[in-house]
Amino acid sequence: MEEIRSVAVIGAGVMGASIAAHAANAGASVLLLDIVKPGETNRNAVAQGAIERLKKMDPAPLMGKNAVRRIKAGNIEDDLGALKDVDWIVEAVVERLDVKQELYKKLDAVRKPGSVVSSNTSTIPLKELCSGLPGSFTRDFCITHFFNPPRYMRLLEIVGGEGEQFAPLHKFADEKLGKTVIQCNDTPGFIANRIGTYWIQSALVLALELGLEVEEADAIMGKPMGFPSTGVFGLMDLVGIDLGPHVNASLARLLPQSDLFHAMNRDTAMIGTMIAQGYTGNKGKGGFYRSVRGADGKRAKTALNIQAAAKGDLEWRPSVRAEIALVKDARNDVKKLLADSSKFGKYAWGVLGRVLAYAASLVPEIADGIADIDAAMRLGYTWKFGPFELIDQLGAEWVCAHLAQLGLTVPPILQQIGAGKFYRTNAAGALEQFALGGGYKPIRRAPGILLLDDIKRAQKPLLSNKVASTWDLGDGVLCFEIHAEIRHAMLNMLDGDVLSILEKTLSLVGKSYKALVLYNDDLREMPHKTNFSTGANIGMAYMMANIRLWGKIEGFIKDGQKLYTAMRNAPFPVVGAPAGRALGGGCEMLLHCSAVQAYAESYIGLVEVGVGLVPGWGGCATMLSRWQEDPKMPKGPMPAVAKVFEIISTATVSRSAAEAIELKFMRPSDGITMNRDRLLGDAKARALAMVAGYAPPQAQALHLPGPSGRVAMALAVEGFHKRGIATDHDVTVSGALADVLSGGKVEYAEELSETDVMTLERQSFMALIRTKESQARIKSIIDSGKPLRN
Amino acid sequence: MTNAVIAGYARSAFTPAGKGALARVRPDEMAADVVRALVARTKINAGDIEDILAGCAFPEGEQGLNVARLIGLLAELPLSVAGATINRFCGSSMMAVHIAAGAIAMGAGEVFVCAGVESMSRIPMGGFNLLPSPKLYAAKPEAYIGMGETAENVAGRWQISREMQEAFALESQRKTAAAQQDGRLDEEIVPMGEAVRDGCLRPETTAEALAGLKPAFSKTGTVTAGTSSPLTDGASAVLVCSEDYARRHDLPMLARIKSVAVAGCAPEIMGIGPVAASRKALARAGIEAGALDVVELNEAFASQALACIRELGLDAAKVNLDGGAIALGHPLGATGARITGKAAALLRRTGGRYALATQCIGGGQGIATVLEAI
Repeated sequence: MEEIRSVAVIGAGVMGASIAAHAANAGASVLLLDIVKPGETNRNAVAQGAIERLKKMDPAPLMGKNAVRRIKAGNIEDDLGALKDVDWIVEAVVERLDVKQELYKKLDAVRKPGSVVSSNTSTIPLKELCSGLPGSFTRDFCITHFFNPPRYMRLLEIVGGEGEQFAPLHKFADEKLGKTVIQCNDTPGFIANRIGTYWIQSALVLALELGLEVEEADAIMGKPMGFPSTGVFGLMDLVGIDLGPHVNASLARLLPQSDLFHAMNRDTAMIGTMIAQGYTGNKGKGGFYRSVRGADGKRAKTALNIQAAAKGDLEWRPSVRAEIALVKDARNDVKKLLADSSKFGKYAWGVLGRVLAYAASLVPEIADGIADIDAAMRLGYTWKFGPFELIDQLGAEWVCAHLAQLGLTVPPILQQIGAGKFYRTNAAGALEQFALGGGYKPIRRAPGILLLDDIKRAQKPLLSNKVASTWDLGDGVLCFEIHAEIRHAMLNMLDGDVLSILEKTLSLVGKSYKALVLYNDDLREMPHKTNFSTGANIGMAYMMANIRLWGKIEGFIKDGQKLYTAMRNAPFPVVGAPAGRALGGGCEMLLHCSAVQAYAESYIGLVEVGVGLVPGWGGCATMLSRWQEDPKMPKGPMPAVAKVFEIISTATVSRSAAEAIELKFMRPSDGITMNRDRLLGDAKARALAMVAGYAPPQAQALHLPGPSGRVAMALAVEGFHKRGIATDHDVTVSGALADVLSGGKVEYAEELSETDVMTLERQSFMALIRTKESQARIKSIIDSGKPLRN
Repeated sequence: MTNAVIAGYARSAFTPAGKGALARVRPDEMAADVVRALVARTKINAGDIEDILAGCAFPEGEQGLNVARLIGLLAELPLSVAGATINRFCGSSMMAVHIAAGAIAMGAGEVFVCAGVESMSRIPMGGFNLLPSPKLYAAKPEAYIGMGETAENVAGRWQISREMQEAFALESQRKTAAAQQDGRLDEEIVPMGEAVRDGCLRPETTAEALAGLKPAFSKTGTVTAGTSSPLTDGASAVLVCSEDYARRHDLPMLARIKSVAVAGCAPEIMGIGPVAASRKALARAGIEAGALDVVELNEAFASQALACIRELGLDAAKVNLDGGAIALGHPLGATGARITGKAAALLRRTGGRYALATQCIGGGQGIATVLEAI
């Protein structure tokens, strides 16, 4: 077997079905098998039901509408024979050794020679799974431990699976499933759950011991530490409270008595009571937090009184936002919080100190290097920083000094590091990690992985200001990066400063380079929460509108149109490489690229109507071109126009790069990169491949319906308005959009250029921004981030 | 004047647009299957057919060109059989019956297949290229009014409360489900692949469920999805021939076409269209509404159906005996032939003397046909 093309998943529970969905996202043909339900005439009912649920789950496990067609349902009584054609079989059945082993024997009898089999177990060691099974099977068997939800969580822990026969699996996991594969030792809980469970247990136990309310605990053990903003109690609600006891019990069974875990494996009575009464978290009747409908009919958040719950009484009270001054200051000085003698400080350090010490004590037991542990916690538990990165931030000496307060011994690796850092940049600008036993070793990136962070360590930008920079990726390719932070969020909004660097970059590439990539990253954020660009800086536009600088605003629109047009007509390829959101002007930037290489989790859309505006930088013009060129569209003046009207007037945002292609924010010829770490490398390769014989795309002539089409769009909006779906100002905004998309006063027989449509875009944009309703919409987004429906 | 009779009626199952068993079937092929079955069931000599008159409300795309001609070719009828597509929106295929009856009366042919078809899955309402006249829109915007809004207007003007509409819809569901259950619809349906029975009806409908629905067309309105006919795919056909031809060939005549009429009304209350059209047709037939034994009144919306029943003084017990479009579905161009064929079949089944088939038409019209037992 050279590559994995077909995958079978046995067990159609939430994890199994979601893994099947993601394998389908990766382009594999997938067979999803489960038991035959007794008394059911449809023998595939269980697996089929799971596939139906996949279509409705939120967050969506499937990317685009084609993926689900690649999944076939079956059952383990009739369809095991089909496994003879499958390259990789994933077992995701109940966590019982006897059930799994009995299944393995059946699988081994039918599977294709050279195929690989893996278990998605989170609690059973590899050696137990393999015991008593023939070598011919165990040779091809390993553990592949996915994190929930598998589409979004980038970590894949592999235990075993190091032989050559597993090379296709590693390649598939990396390039097609987009996972960062971490090789784990065969120890209980592997890496992420070993540390993560200890973290959750410590947070739970110490909150009870120190008398904290859940809101207080979550305010401390979330954002200030770079942990998920839900905090630990919110996180348990999210992942399901019933999962904890299974993992805890297996760790308790498997870990030696000397392990620090045992001391924290307490107070599960409360959890047991909650589960018994159906309070399993968000999927059940609620958990530590519950949304309850009040007497006024409105939903309100309540929180569990955990002190009472520990005594067996489940009672919820209205949830109150924790106001802790130390937490507010923690953004600037987290040590002040950690060293504070209040119960909040004791809690913060009590949990964090234990977790850091525990993680440090597990090297080399659970993994060979600290970078693997950090990556596992970042990618499997969505920590912004792994434990060793956190120690580097606090200072290892400071950590060691404060561990004494907790009565903990200092693990060897912490003793060895002394005043040093676990990570350092060497003289050549490459990143290195500290190794147990002393000394540093380089962190090697797999071939094809190119990180902007690595580039930045080794060079200075060619062009730079506070919001954008341009880097040399080598081989004649430059990278234009936006890094515009607003209120601690990398929103990457576009303003004159961003555009000026882009303009200079275009000129620089034209003079001395071959190609340009538009790319940025925010590696500390979950990739699907990052922003390629959230569009033009509306705050600035709002200020200018307030002092009626209409000429300035129109000038800004004109400049953007000119720059994007110049980028599209540039004599060299420009490849847009988005990850996360590319909205409004950010989307229009991509629409003007020669090609796009997008991270699979790209959310692209023209959302201007949300702030009472229309796309002004060629979004309307390019989308009309793309939909008119589609030979599958019905003929005539309206279908393409109506489609673009629908997409823009409802501010449709793609929920994946695959869907962005369906919506034509990307072309079918554009590329999708599943592994976030490979995006820049893939984009650079695409740019280089386009260099030879490159000619900029020819602008398309547009045939637009004119005033009749304008009426057709108005009729549609009128209907939505009467139904209460469109607001009063929606009617105005949609009308201005219809003015653009219909081509204005044009006769259908006349040809329009995209430039003509851009003029219409500008006119409609200016007409709208002068209205107080659009200004109110902009203000609402600036003030609260929430759209105003006026 | 030569009498025209209805000597055969067949239709496809009516299934929900987008998700039903006919959503993936081309409308021209769907209609051809029905026509082929009608010809086979009536055992007429296909060479005797003068013309296929096919009604369609949005004759474009797969139901475009001159779809009637294409249906004839697809059904492998002799090349001598002509074809014309008729558009009077929802009244299209009833209009086809009227044209056939007129042609027969003036001796312009003896046998006509009057078909109707609409795939609302595959051809959107309004068609692919809706291009209204800006001039007309400025002067009379109601010319382009949405159908749901007209149903609200009728409900408002005739004071048809939401409760009345829901009681009517519930009864429509009940009657249709009973008809399906008793196999009273089987005979008329031409099975096509998985489309062997009607798929729109919701026998589980309850008054409580209907009362819980949100208004579908106006936030302050009374018309809901439950009291409107659903978007539907389907095709239907009736055989219209001269009474003399039927007798010569020993065809089982269902009914004689006694009189026909069309009438316009204000577009914004198009649902009341059947009133004027029916009054004309009844007058032309020389009968009063009280003489009717069977009425097929298309249920575009419960509000307009109720308003028409009241205005025409119809006996509700005689209206839509086997259910109506709220439950059965309303594939626009196919409905006219269905209700005309159904009225004829019911007349025969019930042994009554007179039947009325009538329906409202977008843009503000009504169409009506009075049938008489033979």
